[in-house]
Amino acid sequence: MEILRTKDLTKNFGGLCAVDKISFSLYAGEIVGLIGPNGAGKTTLINLLSGFFPPSSGRIVFEEQDVTGFKAHQLNELGVARTFQVVRVFNKLTVLENVLSAQVDRRQMGPWELVRRAILPPRGEHQRYQKECEAAERLLEFVGIAQYRDEPAENLPYALSKRLEIARALATNPTLLLLDEPSSGLNPRELDDQITIIKRINQQGISILIIEHVMKVIMNISHRLIVLQYGEKIAEGLPQEVYSDPQVVEAYLGGDAHAQH
Amino acid sequence: MDARSWRAIAPWAGLAALVVLPLVLRDRYLVHLLVMAGIFVILSSSWNLLAGYTGQLNLGHAAFYGIGAYTSALLAIKLGISPWLGLVLGGLVAACFGLLLGVPALRLSGPYLAITTIGFAEILRLVAMNWVDLTRGSLGLYGIPPLTPIPLPGGKSLTFTSEVSAYYVILVLCLLSLACCRRLVNSDFGISARSLRDDEMAAASVGIDVNAYKLAIFMLSAFFAGLAGAFFAHYQRLVSPDTLSTAETFTILTMVMLGGLGTLTGPVVGAVVLTFLAEGLRFVEDWVKMDVRLIIYGLLLILTILFMRGGMVGLFDRFRRPAAQPGRE
Repeated sequence: MEILRTKDLTKNFGGLCAVDKISFSLYAGEIVGLIGPNGAGKTTLINLLSGFFPPSSGRIVFEEQDVTGFKAHQLNELGVARTFQVVRVFNKLTVLENVLSAQVDRRQMGPWELVRRAILPPRGEHQRYQKECEAAERLLEFVGIAQYRDEPAENLPYALSKRLEIARALATNPTLLLLDEPSSGLNPRELDDQITIIKRINQQGISILIIEHVMKVIMNISHRLIVLQYGEKIAEGLPQEVYSDPQVVEAYLGGDAHAQH
Repeated sequence: MDARSWRAIAPWAGLAALVVLPLVLRDRYLVHLLVMAGIFVILSSSWNLLAGYTGQLNLGHAAFYGIGAYTSALLAIKLGISPWLGLVLGGLVAACFGLLLGVPALRLSGPYLAITTIGFAEILRLVAMNWVDLTRGSLGLYGIPPLTPIPLPGGKSLTFTSEVSAYYVILVLCLLSLACCRRLVNSDFGISARSLRDDEMAAASVGIDVNAYKLAIFMLSAFFAGLAGAFFAHYQRLVSPDTLSTAETFTILTMVMLGGLGTLTGPVVGAVVLTFLAEGLRFVEDWVKMDVRLIIYGLLLILTILFMRGGMVGLFDRFRRPAAQPGRE
């Protein structure tokens, strides 16, 4: 089943075309790797899909609904969650609060409903909060940082704050998870842990679009690859096919790569 | 008794102390200062909701205070509306203006927002100065009725003209406001508010409607400031455009910074300390024949920021438990 489709998705920044008429589909349960040289438009594409920029033209369809121009928080409510290339955790909040921030069922509760619940707690509010905390702790256990639950997030080492970001994204109960370089800056052991976590998320039925430079990760987990260069999609297919595609090799190694072999 | 039962008793003991305090002091002037301190406790706590917990630098907070004061005063004078109702209405009208100021805050941040909010308060101050028909301009509104007496069974009634009675009213208002602040900060709402202070983009990525939250917090913060203003109008029974002045906002800001930004107790400590310090400085001013109050505030602010980031509360915490060791796994 197709859960995400883009049609001629384009983003211009002034005269620069960062994403140029990209059309692709993503199917339920898939892990799709998004690769390409630096500046190819990968992060811009994720920013478009998660609602951080409005596209200049083209359409985004998520679960049969046209979501072009939706804001980030609206897309998140529909089931799109993401992580960031440079970690963006809530520094002054505790690790647990970071997950709690994401966990409130905002499909039902706006700010004023939460204000009402804070000042005049309805019956069972305490139990609801307890349940929320338990669910948050389960997510922290899932990514293996439960022992730091009461630490301010800024005290976490880099690798663990990346995992906190994943836990926080999962707390919003997504159907599609967009991961922007989840393995950058990790050492080999941390890398293996990260791969395991991503695979386990996928086993729960969450589709994943992942930007990655570490080949070990991308070849290991992706079902399909999409290759971008200069904002355009230059290849798409199974990992092995894409890797032997002369156009892709040229994009990565330069035009003379074949000649020199 | 062990530490735990002490902790259970402490709030009640504190409350009892606050209740008997004016009876022990027996000094109208000191009780008056306590009432003013109470007003500033609400003002600084409400400013802290915005600045400390949500990261919105509002330098026009005195505007909400003034709006609350003028609203309740005018309603009582012109329409004869009960000052008790006026307290709530003053808060609500201030909250509406909070919404108004919240709108530019959606697009601006940091210094840009700060300047916009100063402008907002200044415009309102000029309106209060120049709309003489309504506000009597710089003469100020006088003849504001005090809080109406509450009839008691047995033919007597509770009046609110003395400092001591005003003290009890502001004590109740303070406790209610602080209880609301505390519940807000520690709730899901508070977590969302603090998360958008730390990182708006990340907050949006987890479904937090950043704009809706900012507006809500601007309105809440303004409501409590308006409430304090309305109380002030019926206590002082004179409201002048000075209540809307930027100097008033900076007094509030200094209180919060000195006490501890982004903490619940900080603004309370700061408000009480600075209210009494300001009165002490009055004698110094008489002596040196110079207006030194704002100079001292500025100095305190600079020293706090340079050497005492967490304010007095932060200093106390550091003294009580050794600093956390960063960088461990």
